Amino acid sequence: MTLKEFKLPDVGEGLTEAEIVGWRVKPGDTVRVNDIVVEIETAKSLVELPCPYAGTVADLLVAEGETVLVGTPIIAVAPEGADVPSPQPAAEAGVDEAAAALAAQPSAPDDVAGDGVVEAGLIGGAAPGGRTSVLVGYGPRTTEAKRRPRKGAAAPDGEPLTPSPEGPAGRVLAKPPVRKLAKDLGVNLLAVTPSGLGGVITRSDVEALAGAPSPRAGTPPGTSAAPVRPGGETRIPVKGVRKMTAEAMVRSAFTAPHVTEWLTLDVTRMVELVERLKADREFADVRVSPLLVVAKAVCLAVRRTPELNATWDESAQEIVLKHGVNLGIAAATPRGLVVPNIVGADAMGLHDLAAALGELVGIARDGRTQPAQMAGGTFTITNVGVFGVDAGTPILNPGETGILALGSVSRRPWVVDGPDGEQVVPRWVTTLALSFDHRVVDGAQGSRFLADVGRLLSDPATAMLY
Amino acid sequence: MSTITLAKALNDGLRASMEGDAKVVVMGEDVGKLGGVFRVTDGLQKDFGEDRVIDTPLSESGIIGTAVGLAMRGYRPVCEIQFDGFVYPAYDQIVSQVAKLHFRSGGRLPMPIVIRIPFGGGIGAVEHHSESPEAQFAHTAGLKVVACSNAADAYWMIQQAIACDDPVVFLEPKRRYWEKANLDREAAPAPLLSSKVVRDGTDVTVLAYGPMVKTCLESAIAAAEGGTSIEVIDLRTLSPLDLEPVYASVRRTGRVVVVHEAVVNLGIGAEVAARITEQCFYALESPVLRVGGFDTPYPPSRIEEEYLPDLDRVLDAVDRSLAY
Repeated sequence: MTLKEFKLPDVGEGLTEAEIVGWRVKPGDTVRVNDIVVEIETAKSLVELPCPYAGTVADLLVAEGETVLVGTPIIAVAPEGADVPSPQPAAEAGVDEAAAALAAQPSAPDDVAGDGVVEAGLIGGAAPGGRTSVLVGYGPRTTEAKRRPRKGAAAPDGEPLTPSPEGPAGRVLAKPPVRKLAKDLGVNLLAVTPSGLGGVITRSDVEALAGAPSPRAGTPPGTSAAPVRPGGETRIPVKGVRKMTAEAMVRSAFTAPHVTEWLTLDVTRMVELVERLKADREFADVRVSPLLVVAKAVCLAVRRTPELNATWDESAQEIVLKHGVNLGIAAATPRGLVVPNIVGADAMGLHDLAAALGELVGIARDGRTQPAQMAGGTFTITNVGVFGVDAGTPILNPGETGILALGSVSRRPWVVDGPDGEQVVPRWVTTLALSFDHRVVDGAQGSRFLADVGRLLSDPATAMLY
Repeated sequence: MSTITLAKALNDGLRASMEGDAKVVVMGEDVGKLGGVFRVTDGLQKDFGEDRVIDTPLSESGIIGTAVGLAMRGYRPVCEIQFDGFVYPAYDQIVSQVAKLHFRSGGRLPMPIVIRIPFGGGIGAVEHHSESPEAQFAHTAGLKVVACSNAADAYWMIQQAIACDDPVVFLEPKRRYWEKANLDREAAPAPLLSSKVVRDGTDVTVLAYGPMVKTCLESAIAAAEGGTSIEVIDLRTLSPLDLEPVYASVRRTGRVVVVHEAVVNLGIGAEVAARITEQCFYALESPVLRVGGFDTPYPPSRIEEEYLPDLDRVLDAVDRSLAY
């Protein structure tokens, strides 16, 4: 059985000694933890000391009026239930070794502020209010930290939990991983319809527009992101529209033997027609453009050369001539190249055709073209002229037999017959390029078709002949 | 393996360094006879003598200036600044001499000085006793700045800091001095200038150092009850920063909260946030958020708990991060 000895603690910074002013207990008294047992006077003030132990007072080791050094045992307490033997020398580790040394007591073991339990009231020991005793201050709390009760989803100071993003007008709102995803999928964020709070573009908005869910959906962001280094290269994963385009072009180019023919012609009258139609009240609600006239011309020209509106059926070993024209329009969109078509374009009047064309282009520009709108085309027009080029060698949309590229319409010198003979005058000129599948179409038919379209554009009145 | 308080672990670490190298000297106010106000140097003067454990006058400038001279003559002084708020008289010596002499002398005069600073609040102390001046030193080229958060790290880091040939500002979380941890004296310690993941998580990365590490670990436990998985990284070294483990974590979680007691304005968190933004931009699901002291002098101790970041302020930031 060990008696607990309470040593005079440091009660203030730099304290070395104190006078025992008066005992509040006597041997045989029962004491509880933190009961005041003694009043001492230091150089600074009178201090009441609480008892760190519960039990029975075995002995008062220092008489009232005596001055003792810090670290001197002043009271011995027998733990509850124990007999009260005579006091014994301290066996346990002293806590405040420096103080003990100051007090010229027999030196305590080395393990001072470390492993052992430190007596209450000494530095590192328990202090009132669930704290640890220190020389300076009330001491750090030893009580366990708990989360305060929370009110719903609102943050404390009334601040909304969901941040409301603010961006300059006209700027898209998307957080960095979504921007990265859009970049990877080739999606222009300007074309994405945001569904997030406050107009924020979410990951699924981007994926919806790209057509296919990202293979990284569900995996943590950034894990497979290839870092971009200055002077290096940017690696763009081939997926979505890009992948579809690539596959279709390879299939077409290496299946259908392509022939491309060119025709450069004076389309001044077509341009005049476009201007006239633009001024026409009946066409006020639709967009009139050279493309519209070309579309009409193609619809007319296939009547004479239906082989251009056909398909090669490999399995049946047949050429299938289509009875209606589903006119595909190649459109550069934020998602990449898409070719939606106007079903039954040949049966439409010019106004209806203009309306259908406007709607199709609008949907494509918004990136909302549905797969069904891209299926079943029979002939395609690609308007590369909007990029300012003179035409090119278009590759057939797979399954189709003809594709017409329309170059830019620009002012060029042109030789015309006038009353004073031939003259070079500025005219509206464009270049057409027709590619066709030589399995279906021979040069004679292809040339006739291209010439017909050309004639319709250089002299729209010849449409009367069809 | 033993259980030991942070203060005792530092004491043991200092003792080990002094035993291992006779050039290691400890100096500071009350570090000798008293054993330091936090008992970190307890018993060292008795065992190593007054020549190696020196009670200095109350002059921080003098302590550091003397250490500079000792370092020039091949000693490894370990200076104790009694409280964070007392370091400013020594600031000129630290910034103008300690940090620059190695550079100024073209590499001929290394400054293997350790400046121990008990830092941070939470002990109910008076003015000048609860400050967090780490950013002022981290901003000074030529100084290394580290902060221990637990007893095991404290034991190793103080020895590594003393062994380091460069000056090290060694920050000790004074309110954690009596926190106990297991210490394996046989284990190989992590490098001094390295950060460490101290709790794995998947939803939000929380960065802290010194006294806030425990607060963040408590926050992580509380958050786990609500189903949020917080990864806690102890930065340990503030200059140079070791952020590769942080980048790896952020690339997984996409969300970061930086926590320190020091004021948020131009604090360590600001630099950490900037670097994360540079390195992990496309991984960031939310802005890097900071939790720290308010932009005021440290308040009177009766209201310090309103000032200090606590479990709730950390978790509020975690919630805000997750709301994006």
